[in-house]
Amino acid sequence: MEQRLANSWRMPINDIKFIETALLSDLRIDGRRPFDYRKLTIKLGKEDGSAEVHLGHTHVMAFVTAQLLRPYRDRPNEGSLAIFTEFSPMADPSFEPGRPADSAVELGRVIDRGLRESRAIDTESLCVLSGKLVWSLRVDIHILDNAGNLVDAANIAALASLLTFRRPECSLSGEDGQEVVVHPPEQRDPIPLIIHHLPIAVTFGFFSNENLLVIDPTHKEECVMTGRMTATLNSNGDVCAIQKAGGEGVSQSVIMRCLNLAHAKASDITTKIRDAVEIHNNDRALRKIKRHSSAVAVDVGGNSEILKLKEEENFMECEAKPSGQVQSKDQVSKDFVGGPSSWDPYTECVNSDLLKASLASRGPSVPSKRKDSRCETKPKEQPQETKKDSSPIDKTLTAEQNNEGKTLKDAVKPKHKRKKKVSSQ
Amino acid sequence: MENDRPDGRTANQVRPLACSSSILHRAHGSASWTQGETKVLAAVYGPKAGTKKNENPEKASIEIIWKPKTGQIGWTNTLLISTITFHLKKQNYYFFSHCLGKVEREQVMFSDMSLLPCAINASSAALVDAGIPLKHLAVAICCSVTDSGCIMLDPTKGEEEKMKAFAYLVFPNAIVSVLPERPLQVGSEPMTNGIMTSVTQGAMSVDEYFHCLERGRAASAKLSEILRKNLGSKSTSEASKAG
Repeated sequence: MEQRLANSWRMPINDIKFIETALLSDLRIDGRRPFDYRKLTIKLGKEDGSAEVHLGHTHVMAFVTAQLLRPYRDRPNEGSLAIFTEFSPMADPSFEPGRPADSAVELGRVIDRGLRESRAIDTESLCVLSGKLVWSLRVDIHILDNAGNLVDAANIAALASLLTFRRPECSLSGEDGQEVVVHPPEQRDPIPLIIHHLPIAVTFGFFSNENLLVIDPTHKEECVMTGRMTATLNSNGDVCAIQKAGGEGVSQSVIMRCLNLAHAKASDITTKIRDAVEIHNNDRALRKIKRHSSAVAVDVGGNSEILKLKEEENFMECEAKPSGQVQSKDQVSKDFVGGPSSWDPYTECVNSDLLKASLASRGPSVPSKRKDSRCETKPKEQPQETKKDSSPIDKTLTAEQNNEGKTLKDAVKPKHKRKKKVSSQ
Repeated sequence: MENDRPDGRTANQVRPLACSSSILHRAHGSASWTQGETKVLAAVYGPKAGTKKNENPEKASIEIIWKPKTGQIGWTNTLLISTITFHLKKQNYYFFSHCLGKVEREQVMFSDMSLLPCAINASSAALVDAGIPLKHLAVAICCSVTDSGCIMLDPTKGEEEKMKAFAYLVFPNAIVSVLPERPLQVGSEPMTNGIMTSVTQGAMSVDEYFHCLERGRAASAKLSEILRKNLGSKSTSEASKAG
């Protein structure tokens, strides 16, 4: 007991007064205005269903895993979702290991309510065998650094990880269709979850002076503030949940004002999350193309033949054909449809030279990318360039197979030990 | 014997390493250590008051909290916790005037294999980042023995399953001293040849074990260089946040 007391840190009264006085002039100690959010960075891990969120200095990680379990008796057709929060002592010296504190439980409940009650995740799609086997999702949220406003950061992390999570595909087999076969990711692509909307939590802090209101309080402001409210809304303006547990009483007009503010913030944050997830999905698709380099080789082979045929013909036609071919690879085409508009002739020439020079040491994805961009910009290049280009492509096809084993080796320099740049995954 | 490993490394190559410190803002010291796909984040909080019942108030003590990425701590992880605790306690600290306990906390971010060496390296870096005075740091490496008797350093998860035995070895950091007259030898051997902790799993012959030790020692010299380079470049003018 005395250990905990000795460790508790109390804010000096001077600091408290300073923060409150500064807020009277709409100034916050980190330079923000009262309704500004801190810088939000969402990093999605390479594995599906892991996200890392930095909200200012607050650092939260979330992981999603799924298991096949029996469903609840009263809901035989629905999967389940469980949120586990880990307030690790790493984040704050006052977090004790072991039994979760009240604030930890509250955080878990707020996020859970936002997702479950608003039916953001479609749980019926998680059902495999009604009454017997359903997918049970588990979201683990780890708080790594507490610099205030854990609820919002944890919520964003949970949403980002759920958006990128893929569950294995399973099918029914057996005589009466009662056996479930779970397909590993190599066999069949895992499927994403069905998420109807994104409930975003926005936290407000109230102070002893009724007119003072801040969004996204920092750790110091949390020590000073006398009341807090978390409003969970989605970008459509639907209120999914409101949490105001004790603290200073506030008038109805203030609550309404908060909800309007939260709506604006929720739309903002939703776009940020969606952008990050889209970038991640693009990367994922590109990585999959790398993995199935043999499939790519077939396409590329077809393309190079077309190139040879069309060489003598009108070059404008050539542009249309390869991009039609490229459409078959969804993500790659998306990247290069806008190619010609931002095309730099000098760069393209350099790229083809690079390709020839570093044929053996490049991974398979790079040749496919270069090849595509060259396809689309071919009409603008000199005719003799194309002749040279088609031959390295053929070389690439054969080299690709050999390069498979070399891809990772190139990531590791042939020295004894190698120090990479600071990883920020 | 050089075997071709799936990711193209030779038997003596370690996966790409990355070390970064001062990542967290509330913790007094923090560091993350990445070896290939394995990433461990360690945070250190400086001395906190109060002693547990059985601890000697004159000695420094350290408390380790370990959190896996998902799920609860299984038995493999408890083994890891106890190993790290044991190893760090054995380190000799300089004199502390008050009774202290340092809380050190490790978080596994991505786990592949060689988790324990990664964690030990991360904790060493975090302790330095916090400014805790230490006699020397620890660097750890994992050596595995294949069925044919070759030694491979730093196996990945896929390779791990094919190994018949492996050993986690922890060596003291090589000391580069400002004072030239400091003796760096314990007995007749240089200090860095000493081994601090060794955890083995599986069966291997004595020769193979010694072979592992040699390889591990060579690797640890390089590891400690990397550690020193990384930590040394941090600004020394920043005040220590601990105590």
